[in-house]
Order: sequence, then C-alpha cells, then structure tokens
Amino acid sequence: MAKQEKAADVIDNEGAHKGDQMHAAPGTFVLTLILLLSFAVYYFANWKALADVWQVR
Amino acid sequence: MTTMDPTVEDALPETAVEPKGNHAPGMARVCATTGLTVDLTAEKFIKLHAVFAVVFLLLGGIAALLIAMTRWSAVHLLPADWYYRLTTFHGLNMLILWILFMEVAILYFAATALLKTRLASAGLAWAGFVLMAVGAVTLDTMILMGTSDVMMTSYAPLRAHPLFYLSIIFVAVGTLIGVINFFATVYIAKRDKTYSGSVPLVVFGAITAAIIAVVTLGHGAGIMIPTFLWSIEVLPSPDPAVYRLVWWGLGHQSQQVNVAAMVSVWYLLGAITVGAKVLNQGVSRTAFLLYILFINLASAHHLLVDPGVSAGWKIWNTSYAMYLAVLASMIHGYTVPAAVEVALRKQGHDKGLFGWLGAAPWRNPGFSGFFLSLVVFGFLGGITGVTLGTEQINIIAHNTLRIPGHFHTTVVGGTTTAFMALAYYVVPLIFRREFPMRAICRAQPYVFTLGVVILAVGMSFAGSYGVARRHWDVEFTGATHAASFDPSVHIFLGMVGIGGIIAFVGLLMFVIPTVIAVFFGKKIEGKMPAW
Repeated sequence: MAKQEKAADVIDNEGAHKGDQMHAAPGTFVLTLILLLSFAVYYFANWKALADVWQVR
Repeated sequence: MTTMDPTVEDALPETAVEPKGNHAPGMARVCATTGLTVDLTAEKFIKLHAVFAVVFLLLGGIAALLIAMTRWSAVHLLPADWYYRLTTFHGLNMLILWILFMEVAILYFAATALLKTRLASAGLAWAGFVLMAVGAVTLDTMILMGTSDVMMTSYAPLRAHPLFYLSIIFVAVGTLIGVINFFATVYIAKRDKTYSGSVPLVVFGAITAAIIAVVTLGHGAGIMIPTFLWSIEVLPSPDPAVYRLVWWGLGHQSQQVNVAAMVSVWYLLGAITVGAKVLNQGVSRTAFLLYILFINLASAHHLLVDPGVSAGWKIWNTSYAMYLAVLASMIHGYTVPAAVEVALRKQGHDKGLFGWLGAAPWRNPGFSGFFLSLVVFGFLGGITGVTLGTEQINIIAHNTLRIPGHFHTTVVGGTTTAFMALAYYVVPLIFRREFPMRAICRAQPYVFTLGVVILAVGMSFAGSYGVARRHWDVEFTGATHAASFDPSVHIFLGMVGIGGIIAFVGLLMFVIPTVIAVFFGKKIEGKMPAW
C-alpha cells in the first residue's frame, strides 16, 4: 500500500506529475454518467412542465 | 483509517525544519503536518478574517432559522416587518460577509503558504480588514435598527438609510484592498523566485477568484456609489432597469468568486486529505480560464423576465456563455473526484468500481465536508442551475421558491460546506489549536448537508407549485384576489422548516467546536492530531 505524501510535496511537485497518461478512474466515470442521466431527466421534465402550461396551438 | 490520515507518521517538530522562501528571520514556520511554510504576518490576518467570517456565519444562520420558521406556514413565526428585515440581514451576512471574509483569508493563505512567500503588506492588510469590519458591523446595525428593510438586492426605487449603502461600499473597498494585497504577494513570490514553474493549481484558482472579484467589486462600486448619492439626495433615483443590470454584476458575480474559491478548496483538500494529485494541469487551468471569460455573463439569467434587455442578449448570455461556464464546472466536477479516486487506488483501495469510495476517510470532516460539497453542488446545484437558467424554462420558475431552492444547494451545500471543511484544517494548522468534541465534528458535515438538502428540496417543490420567493405570507391574507395552492405545498414548506432546523443544528455543531478550539483549544505542538 503506497504511503500518502505530505500536502506541501504534492503541491510543490505537481508540475512534475505526469499522471494524465496513466490515470484510471472508472468509478468517477460512472458517477459522471449518473449525473448526466439525472440532468437529462430533470431538464426534459421541466420542458414537459413548460409545454403543459404554455401550449402552442 | 490511519493510513488515509494526513497526519503523517514521520512529521518533524516545527523547529527542526527551516522555512523556505523570502521571509525575514523568525517570521515564518514550517507546518509539521503538511510541510507548508506559514508566514507569521499572513497567519495573523488569516486568523482575523476567519474569526469574523464565522461570527457572520452564526448571525446569518440565526436569521436563517427564524426565516425558515416563518416560511413554514404552520408556524409562521415572525411578523412581516421582522421577516423582511431578517431576510435582508440573512442574505447580506451569508452571501457577502461570511463569504468575503473567508475568501480574503483563503487568498492570503493560498498566496503565502503555497508560494512560500511573505505577505506583501501588513499595512494594506490592516486597512482592508478595518474597512471590511467597520462596514460589516455598520451594515448589520443599520439593518437591525429597521432603517433598511430593502432585501439584499435593495432594488431602486426602494431606499435604505445612506449608511446601508456606505457600509456596503466600505466592505467592497476593504475586500478590494485585500485582493490587491493578494496580487502584490503573488508578484513578490514571482520576483523573489520562491517557487519554480507555474503557480500551483490551487493558487491559479485563487487568482481566478481574485480576478472575478475585481470585476465584481467594480460593478458594486458602479451601482452602490450612485445609489448612495441618491440616498443623500445628491443624484436622482437610478433607473430601476439599469440598477438591476449593474447590481447583478455584483450580486451574482460575488457568487462566482465563491465558485472559483470553492473549487480551489476542493483541490487543496483533495491534496491534504488523501494526497490527490491534479490529473491534468492544462485541463483544470483551462476550466478556470472559462470561469474568468464566461461566468460573469451568466448573471444575465436574473434578468430573463426584464423587458429592458433584448431576447438576443438574454439567449446569448444564458445559453452560449453560461454553458461554457457550466462546462468549466463539469470539468472540475470530474477531475476532482477522479484525482481522489486515483490517489486512493494507488494506496491500495482498488476493489471494484467504488471500493475507493468506501475506503475514503469519511470520519475526517475535512474530507467528508469537501466531498459532500462536491456532490451537492454538482448533482443538486448544477442540474437545477442549468435548467433554471434556460430562458424558456425560467418563465415557469422565475421569482418562485425554486430559485432559493437552487442557490441554497450551491452557496450553502456547496461553498459553505467546503469552507467549513477547510476550517477543520485551518484551525489546527494556522491557529495551532486542537478541535474539541471530535465526534460532533465528524458528524457535522453530514447533519449540515442533510438539513440543507431537505430545506432546498422543500423549497424547490413548493416553488414548482408557484409559491413565491421572499414572500412573508404564502396565503396572501387580505389580498384582493385570493391565492390558492395545492395543499401539498404546506408539506414542502414544512420540509423547509424542518430542514432549516437540522441545518441550524449542523451550523452550531460547526461554530461551537470551532470557537472553543480557537479561543480555548489545546495548543498543538508539532503534528496535528489525526482526524
């Protein structure tokens, strides 16, 4: 198990950190998809509510 | 959860490490827990601003409880005049005073501790702080005396006491001086080469917040100075439409300063609590740049039913421009938890999709507060914000209780929770005092967030049925035309009251241990105790 670094070391060395090519965050990716799905449901429910009260004839 | 804790096992006594940077001898120390260099002059001003911030948070919180007890129609606690007075008081204490005092503290911390430099000017810091403090105390006094029941927005031609406007100008100028001191400190660090390469991302975010703050305070001066002159009858009344346009350049953009500062706090707390590293500097910095370029324009969504501005102007600002600012928040909303996930997986918590999440240090209020802030801001604040900011949809939500339902998830569930989480490190690291009642501290982010979510959901649903924001009496007693709502509205307004009580308990669970820690807490020598 890797040991946690001090905050000062993390911040001082962040320029040298090239983690972008090796990061894998599948859990966050799934959370992001849940967020987008929630947004889509809420957004279109509001368009439906608008259509119900402001009908175009 | 000791392996997750930032209290590293090999921490050295503070005297054993020489401070780095450009400090005069004896004017800096190295934090044994984080390894950050703390400038002793800046430390004094961080303490002053943080203490005042918490005082205004408590005052605004007391007002919030009384307002929630009034909007709860079964209780309906306050008479009308005190309801509007305390709504004015609550808005200004929570959205302006608590936030601005805390943000100046964050700016001083970010510039000095992360760039290993001295504060540019103690004189400027004193001047800014005194102006802010005098302005804030005068402002609250004028409101409570009943001379300025004009709500936070103080829309002309409503007229408050001249000292009301003058005190806001004092707070704004004091904050601007703090921001100038921050920029001067960043300049000194660059000149003295106290860091190499680009500034750290957290400082970059703080610079973003400071740039937006300058624009915001410019709008504040642009509208508050003529309004003050009108209040002393030197100038005629400001045009109400122009007032609203310029005022929202202050009112909304001040919340964008919060967003930039809050995101910076997320990155900082990610690094401190689990050693999270920024996944991609370019992506995160570009997202901050999008805030600077586009987030200010999003304030136009306050004017979506105003007749004085064109449909094209509204659509451009609240669609294209606002979406680019939302894109920035979505980028941070991915990169911050992803950095936490990568850090925890590297520490061995890589079981399944969410093993890292289960193994996260949830008993550490610095972590739980930061992560709950992120979730509430993104899921509740973000989703409702984009929807309500859509020009067509806004027409069914404008000036209803849905709007406060949205911004209580961003400003309270998001920013305030993040700043509280930061305090769980500021007090031990800057004040060097130990938190008492640690079980209460551990539970605090959960209780506070639960209360805010119940409050905001209640507001949103009541608003969906047409309940107006800001109004004292949902029944419109005595009105010429009776207003009737679906009976379920009263259940949702009950949720507002119950959520308000729970959130207030969560607030006290933060304020009481913090005040005890700051003034009577056990002195910390060396490393801070594990959360």
